[in-house]
Amino acid sequence: MSFLGWFLLTPLAAFLLLLLLPREQEKTIRVAALALSLAIFGLSLGLLAGEPRETDLAWIPELNIRYHVAVDGLSIWLILLTTLLTPISILISWKYIDRRVKEFHAFLLLLEFGVLGVFAAMDLFLFYVYWEVGLVPMYFLIGIWGHDRRIYAAVKFFLYTMAASVLMLASIIYVYQRAGTFDYPAILAMLASGKLTFTSLEQTLLFLAFFVAFAVKVPLFPLHTWLPDAHVEAPTAGSVMLASVLLKLGTYGILRFCLPMFPTAARENAGWIAVLAIVGIVYGALVAMVQPNVKKLVAYSSVSHLGFVILGIFSFNQQGFDGAVYQMLNHGVSTGALFMLVGYLYERRHSLEIQDYGGVSTPAPWLSTVFLITTLASIGLPTLNNFVGEFLVLQGAAQADFRWAVFAATGVILSACYMLWMYQRTFYGETPEKVTHQMTDLNGREWAAILPLLALMVWMGTAAETFLPRISAANRLILQQTTVNVPFNVQTPAPRPDVAAKEIADAR
Amino acid sequence: MPANLFPAPVEIFRFLPEIILALGGTLIMVLEALTGDRQPKNALGHVSLAALFAALVAAVAVHGSPGPAFSSMLLVDGFATFFRVVVIAVGILTVFSSYRYLSREGANTGEYYALVLFSVAGQGVMVTANELIMIFIGLEISSIATYVMAGLLRDDARANESALKYFLLGSFATAFLLYGIAFLYGATGTTNLTAIRETVLRADGPSPLLLGLAAALMLVGFGFKISSAPFQMWAPDVYQGAPTPVTAFMSAGPKAAAFAIFLRVFVTIFEPIGDRWEPIIWVFALASMTIGNFAALTQSNVKRMLAYSSIAHAGYVLVALCARSDIGTAAAMFYLAAYALMNVGAFAVVAYICGKGEKYVGIDDLAGLGSRRPAVAAALTIFLCSLIGVPLTGGFFGKFYIFKAALESKLIWLTVLGLLNSAVAAYYYLRMLVVMYMREPGEATENLEPLPAGLRTALFTSAAGVLLLGIFPSRILEFAVQSAKLFGR
Amino acid sequence: MPEGYLPLFLFLIVAMIFPVVALGFAKLLRPSLPSGAKLEAYECGIKAASNARGRYTVRFYIVAILFVIFDVETIFLFPWAVRNQALGWFGVAEIAVFLLILIVGYVWAYRKGAFEWV
Repeated sequence: MSFLGWFLLTPLAAFLLLLLLPREQEKTIRVAALALSLAIFGLSLGLLAGEPRETDLAWIPELNIRYHVAVDGLSIWLILLTTLLTPISILISWKYIDRRVKEFHAFLLLLEFGVLGVFAAMDLFLFYVYWEVGLVPMYFLIGIWGHDRRIYAAVKFFLYTMAASVLMLASIIYVYQRAGTFDYPAILAMLASGKLTFTSLEQTLLFLAFFVAFAVKVPLFPLHTWLPDAHVEAPTAGSVMLASVLLKLGTYGILRFCLPMFPTAARENAGWIAVLAIVGIVYGALVAMVQPNVKKLVAYSSVSHLGFVILGIFSFNQQGFDGAVYQMLNHGVSTGALFMLVGYLYERRHSLEIQDYGGVSTPAPWLSTVFLITTLASIGLPTLNNFVGEFLVLQGAAQADFRWAVFAATGVILSACYMLWMYQRTFYGETPEKVTHQMTDLNGREWAAILPLLALMVWMGTAAETFLPRISAANRLILQQTTVNVPFNVQTPAPRPDVAAKEIADAR
Repeated sequence: MPANLFPAPVEIFRFLPEIILALGGTLIMVLEALTGDRQPKNALGHVSLAALFAALVAAVAVHGSPGPAFSSMLLVDGFATFFRVVVIAVGILTVFSSYRYLSREGANTGEYYALVLFSVAGQGVMVTANELIMIFIGLEISSIATYVMAGLLRDDARANESALKYFLLGSFATAFLLYGIAFLYGATGTTNLTAIRETVLRADGPSPLLLGLAAALMLVGFGFKISSAPFQMWAPDVYQGAPTPVTAFMSAGPKAAAFAIFLRVFVTIFEPIGDRWEPIIWVFALASMTIGNFAALTQSNVKRMLAYSSIAHAGYVLVALCARSDIGTAAAMFYLAAYALMNVGAFAVVAYICGKGEKYVGIDDLAGLGSRRPAVAAALTIFLCSLIGVPLTGGFFGKFYIFKAALESKLIWLTVLGLLNSAVAAYYYLRMLVVMYMREPGEATENLEPLPAGLRTALFTSAAGVLLLGIFPSRILEFAVQSAKLFGR
Repeated sequence: MPEGYLPLFLFLIVAMIFPVVALGFAKLLRPSLPSGAKLEAYECGIKAASNARGRYTVRFYIVAILFVIFDVETIFLFPWAVRNQALGWFGVAEIAVFLLILIVGYVWAYRKGAFEWV
């Protein structure tokens, strides 16, 4: 078993280790969880260098199920994002979580285990296992440590995802039946060589089964209704992990599995999916604008932002794909940071209603500054991260259909409206008595949690070439896979090696 | 002629597990009678455990010399060994989880342990039977013992109702089965399964009409025993009323054994008319899953809810039978093993919580278990995840394997509807998790005694088993697949 | 094969017709003079003391069960006795097992107090 194979098991080991600690020693548990997750993050950096990044072992030989994991340009950054956000989530929960500390940290590590596995799994069965394993800890994170309506939100979250994914399981078994293996690269190779073909009907049904499972997770309008509930009720760390990592499972799945396996169906259905994505962008933005609850506002902004990712994917070109993946990372960084900052506000004022705030910048200037930077990043200000992603997505969408780009661009404008308006109402204006009384500025722990994300916002906004080449390389392959054996004329120009460099230049 | 009436030693050896169990049961009854009522009865429980473990060892050892016994009335093959191990394991777990419950209810008698042994012995006869009369005798031994166990608490009105209902409907079902056996004997002139199969496959074999009638009657009998819809109506009342460890036992052991003979009879002798019964099983499977899951949604009593869930799980196994393939048989075997473990485990938790007189068996009574008894809650979480079908548990893998078999046999609609059903099921299992972890602790969990050793053994063994079946299913799966192939085709 | 069942079927038909015909003729021929005394249970001409469906102690059930076990089951000894020569030692071994089980049951019932009337 190579480094990657072991690495993916480390969160599970950390989870088991944590279970062994006595539950009364909360301090020890927090420190241990933080140290372990930081160690996992350190190890994950090794993935950037180490070759070969693949492990392929027999797991259940009778069914040809393998422990096949691999990392490529598509998953590497998502894995790093996950391993980075786990210690950050532990940091921001230091004071916020004050009961059942042991279980909380254990579930967080179990969640990390499931999510990392999803990003690395190269065996469809293994993928499904990880996919469901991540569901359980998130359910508990929302249900035990959430706010008032936490049980409703947790059950809704679980049932939505579960109901959607059982059909994916059926499809996975069906694909296995036809291909004789769960091994994803092998299936792709069979598709490419024409050894395995699906009829048009089969492709459409299988594509839809996979797509719906992923679209619920994304969430794509109109399957998004679980998201605001889950976000609002979840504890801060839960919201951060949910927004930054779990939503990416859906978009990652679409790009990794839906498109290469069922290219014809994906292209045939691209039209209405892109329209739904645009509806999601605009709808999410409009709903966000009228939210009185700041967490709900950020949640709806997620619906809007994830619409961009879907739009980029279904543009079927290099820029669209690159933008989509980059936007996945951006959303993870900036929305994660937003949820953290909202959590900071909540810890001080114990309210999520915008009207309970106002003039926060006077008592807490640094908090306001950091919040402003994050807000601007989320809006898509040049030199900050979201700009690069949104630009690439819009470029890709314009190539596919110019009207898509026009409508999607209104989302960018609307996002400026609702974010800045929220910022203005919260941080400027009269400072009520209570706010002055309760607001304190960032402390050292909070700085430590937010700084890495701030640094990433700037880094990803100004030096996209750190990230994009690997992403483009992986996307080029996926694009190629979506053009083989596709019966109708594909308009996308053949990918050229210099494309990535050009995009970076464009983006800047 | 008289000389070869004596069975060969190897034949007696092949019957050894059941001999051990029957002798163990008899020994317990004699011991209890001789020691009088003053003695602590846990010692008799230990005797029953010793007998069960000896039988388990014997069952594994017997696998080394497979073959028929007693003029082909019994047949020891992989299939028989698999189910023997399952039913004996269920017996062991039941005894472990019974000690505390019985002494709390003042019913810690030697008869109980003897009845467990007799029932398991009957199930052993069922799963090794290669002959219709033996099937019937095994079924009766197992059932009668279980009827008495259900009515163990003589002064409890619910237990009485449960026992009587179980007895009446069970006898009714057995009558159907016997009627089917009579028709089959009339049609083929033999009761030996191997011989019947040969007759059925002959060109001048029995008329399909007579065969179909026999199959239909036996289907009714088996349908009752496995509590599949539309013969499920007795299960909720009986499961709810019986003492909890007994419920655990009868929802796992007799059910697995009944499925074993169901599979053996239908996949061997009725296989040639499979086209006829497949649509019926299709409907039964779907109805069981749907009725079980939707009825469970509204239950507030844990035992009743688990009863409905067990109806639904019978539906899943019927999906495997509907596939009519070796893979389907193997899937059913694997699923029944996983199901036995998770169900016995879940009921063991109820036996722990319920308190004297089964006062606390509502779902709401689980409130606060997560913080008051985290280890028990964790075990129950594993069982519930397995019942839902979350990966890395035996329940998931079993379900996966069943639906894989169904898809292989082109049962696409049944697969889709079954999977959607399992999503519905998630809701009511989640309710238990919600109450356990997310509600304020309630009265029931307040004065819980420390986890007794026997119950702890039962809980953690079955939890470990469920995880083992989910993470490393290879060995057991391989065994199931091989055993399913040994089967009449 | 169904032809083999024909006599059985005819017998069934006759069995069903016979009571109908017999009772029907009786009904037509006999005089009808109902009286209370005719409806009473007839026991050698003595007047009935009480209802036949009275309650009696549950202990009689135990007696009945014991009768079934220890008296009726000895019927199984009979076929063995008839075929004793042919079955040889095998028969002896089998009947020994049977009797052993019966004796264990006897000891158990005795120790449990099944034979005590109080």
